[in-house]
Amino acid sequence: MLLGPEHDSVKNDALGTERHSKGIRAQIKARFRGWINQRIPPAREVTLDQRRIFIFPSRVGFFFGGCLLVMLLAAINFENNLSYALTFWLATLFIVAILHTYANLSGLTIRAVRAEPAFPGQQAEFHLMIKRSKRRDHFALHLKWPNSSETLVNLVDEDSVIVQLHMAVGSRGWFSPGRLLLESTYPLGLLRCWTLIDLELYALVYPRPLASTDLHGLATNTPDGAAVFVDGSDDFYGFRGYRKGDSPRQVYWKGLAKQQGLLTKQYTAYADRSVWLDWDMFAGLGTEQRLSHLCYWLLEFDRRGQECGLRLPTGVIEPALGEKHRDRVLKELALYGKERRSR
Amino acid sequence: MSILQQVPRNALVWIIICLFALLAPHAGRLPIWILALYVVAVIWRLQVHRGRWSFPSRSVKVAMILSGFVGIYASYGSFIGLEPTVALLLIAFALKLVELSHRKDAYVLLFLGYFICITEFLFSQDLSVTLYALVSVTLVTTALVAIHRPGEQEFRLGTIRVASGMLLQAMPLMIILFFLFPRFGPLWTVPIKSHTAKTGMSDFMKPGDVASLSQSADVAFRVKFDGDIPAKSALYWRGLVFSRIEQGVWSALEFYDIPANQRRPQEVIGDGEPIRYSIIMEPTQQNWLYGLKYARSDTRGVMQTSDFRLFSPVPVETEYMYTVNSWANVAVDEVLSDWRRKTETQLPPTGNAKTRKLSLDLKAKASSDEAFVGLVLDTFRREPYVYTLRPGLLPEQDSIDAFLFQSMRGFCEHYASAFVFMMRAAGVPARVVAGYQGGEINPINKTVIVHQFDAHAWAEVWLASRGWVRVDPTAAVSPQRIEFGLEEAMASEGSFLSTVLLSPVRYRSVPLLNLLRLRYDALTYQWQTWVVGFDNERQFDLLRSFLGETTAKVFAVVLLGSWALVLLPVAISLLFKRDIVPVSPLGKHYRIFCKRLARLDLIRGPGEAPSQFAQRAVKDLPDYADPLWQITDLYNQLAYADAKLSAANAAKDLQHFARVVSRFRPKRHSAALSKETEL
Repeated sequence: MLLGPEHDSVKNDALGTERHSKGIRAQIKARFRGWINQRIPPAREVTLDQRRIFIFPSRVGFFFGGCLLVMLLAAINFENNLSYALTFWLATLFIVAILHTYANLSGLTIRAVRAEPAFPGQQAEFHLMIKRSKRRDHFALHLKWPNSSETLVNLVDEDSVIVQLHMAVGSRGWFSPGRLLLESTYPLGLLRCWTLIDLELYALVYPRPLASTDLHGLATNTPDGAAVFVDGSDDFYGFRGYRKGDSPRQVYWKGLAKQQGLLTKQYTAYADRSVWLDWDMFAGLGTEQRLSHLCYWLLEFDRRGQECGLRLPTGVIEPALGEKHRDRVLKELALYGKERRSR
Repeated sequence: MSILQQVPRNALVWIIICLFALLAPHAGRLPIWILALYVVAVIWRLQVHRGRWSFPSRSVKVAMILSGFVGIYASYGSFIGLEPTVALLLIAFALKLVELSHRKDAYVLLFLGYFICITEFLFSQDLSVTLYALVSVTLVTTALVAIHRPGEQEFRLGTIRVASGMLLQAMPLMIILFFLFPRFGPLWTVPIKSHTAKTGMSDFMKPGDVASLSQSADVAFRVKFDGDIPAKSALYWRGLVFSRIEQGVWSALEFYDIPANQRRPQEVIGDGEPIRYSIIMEPTQQNWLYGLKYARSDTRGVMQTSDFRLFSPVPVETEYMYTVNSWANVAVDEVLSDWRRKTETQLPPTGNAKTRKLSLDLKAKASSDEAFVGLVLDTFRREPYVYTLRPGLLPEQDSIDAFLFQSMRGFCEHYASAFVFMMRAAGVPARVVAGYQGGEINPINKTVIVHQFDAHAWAEVWLASRGWVRVDPTAAVSPQRIEFGLEEAMASEGSFLSTVLLSPVRYRSVPLLNLLRLRYDALTYQWQTWVVGFDNERQFDLLRSFLGETTAKVFAVVLLGSWALVLLPVAISLLFKRDIVPVSPLGKHYRIFCKRLARLDLIRGPGEAPSQFAQRAVKDLPDYADPLWQITDLYNQLAYADAKLSAANAAKDLQHFARVVSRFRPKRHSAALSKETEL
């Protein structure tokens, strides 16, 4: 089932208001989420306009206001007209700065580019694109998700720029980084202009690999009678021509240097046999644990260049080798029992 | 350190430029070690930047702050007062630079910079100071912009464009606020007083004092008469009255020297039309004001002393404007009190015996006090007395004897002093009056500019039934001085402003320079009346003449209305910039269509084909299926049609498309309803 996050949050909101035991803070949070989802609906691409931009004096702005007050007191007490004038000049500069600060965000388009998958606890990399549509320079655009790395970019010489943000991901499945904070205090730092946007950008989180000492029933579960896996037996057998998807570790790079073309090394033990990783191999264990073990073994076989397939209650992936295959299997494991998204 | 806290190199350069720009106008007032501190601070910070030195440690910082305080105390002897306060601010500014590492330090530094800009105005509100402040505020603002431009690692002059642009946009708002903001008196009295010595009169006078003033071309005050300007020879600007002589030094009476019942001036009824004029004084740090004889001011806070001078209870620390009514011919102090008579005839018991004798001899010849005055003046006229700026030194003892009988060379204070001495020796009440005489008439705006070199001393004699009468013994010696001024009187001697080579007044004979000088002075006068002297009375007049009534509502409407008038074009120029990708006229209309749908949360995705988008839209807005498809099909036809075919009636087709789009105004009523019923 494909569920948009908008519906999701509407549901959350309804739940939040129903359950008083959740506490006032949670309620406020839920309400805020509902409100902001209405105001800035999640989208892969967002162009900033007055509905999406918030502006308020920054902490520095309040400090500046305090300084102006002291200056005004000086002007009043010394009855000094030029002190009045300078104080007013700075105060009106503050007002003009509202327009300039707002203009620095206005008209920008932020697009979700992609998110790299990651294992739990690792940093996933998110790629975003910031684009301007008008001939205006934008400075000091500060981007970050809650708990993510931050970045500061200018849009001066180029019309668009791609930025990377890193963020530690949680448990298996689709990881949503939340609403992206894009803020700027340019040009004077007195006002903070920001937006909170949900770019519908999700990072895929694989199961946590969990080692298990042996693989029960590997032989019996392989219909074509593959050899029992023996640790460390990777005797070299010969070369074959490189096929797309072969692991770079198995490529015979020295051969390339000797101008023999791209060759892939083959090892006896696994040369023409394939194994099946089966959901039922870990009978008696919980779902997450099973997935973790399967993940571990998948990585292990991939490292050794052994073709392996995957059998889950939800589907079957034929044995194959290579990064693409590995990623496909990992994704299958990651999304086992989770809702699926097109991206 | 967060990336937000980094200070780019461009900003650092601008901050250092600010540093020196803010220091410059104060440099002349500061002890030399503060200037040295600035150089050290900048070198230190640059070395930190190059990685050679490190930021000061906490203990070094504390030591520097403490030594700053000690230095200020050593140089000024106190922390109270304008100069030590400003010096402290400037030291803080330099020290903050040394420890500048984060953006938050830069904020503190630059806001401190704005404060330092304001302190310049406490010393002077001159036009030139103001123009300079414009520059320094622009520089500080530029540095503020520069710290918000990450990644600019080399100096960029262009940063100043953003700052000055914003400041220019703020300028009209500021002017409106300046004239509308209500002015009220000080909330509490500020004891800060400048200790800088100003050229000008002091409250005692010894021979040579006025002559030394004559070497200054500074402006003392400017006068604007309501009617015609009186003859120059009648412009005796009274400032101080010296009634006491001790060891050859004339001094004014202190307030408490005067018996309590005589501290208020005697009632004088001015008859006839007064001469009306307003005076803008340059700061003197003194209390006395200037006016023609018999002066009465209707400006709030101006008082009158018992010797009919104008007086301000607070020292004149900035340009000060007041209006005066003068009755030149009215008699003052017609009845002289015994105390006054005794005071104004007092002389030291001994000394200057020859002068006393001459005085008594002449008095014996004279039939009346008036005749006696005439005889004394005749003596000055007859004998070969010289009016000179270079009178030579006189002995401490019997200096009047030495002047009258030996050197016979003197400046106005010598003549005034000798004359009053002789009057008193013969028992006629007399006193020395110090102030300015004459002035330069600026033909451009008909103001009288009184310079320091117009400083003058003369005498007042009390004559029965006429009261105090002005007598100027200098006029007897050098009539040119009174008729034409000091420059003319000193023409043969060549001593006029001989020590101030750079003063523009010195080059009055060069017509172009003189015209420029007078134009600038006229501008200064306008500046002082409209900006420096703008007070609640002027504000009231101005607002009433423009707005009719001055209620709070009118105030708010005018303020907000005029601001909107200024801010609207600024907003338009900021937000409506050229698109990067030029859009075809067809695309423009299609965009309007998309915008209308976007209002209903139907946003066309990037790269979504028009027909795909239409499909999606129809699903959401089934009521509008017909127009949606009509517009989309039309768009596809026009956009992808054969160029040859469409060229013929392209304009017509486009018009048709535009019409269809403009008629398309979807609303969500029905859609929203259907959604709710589903739930």
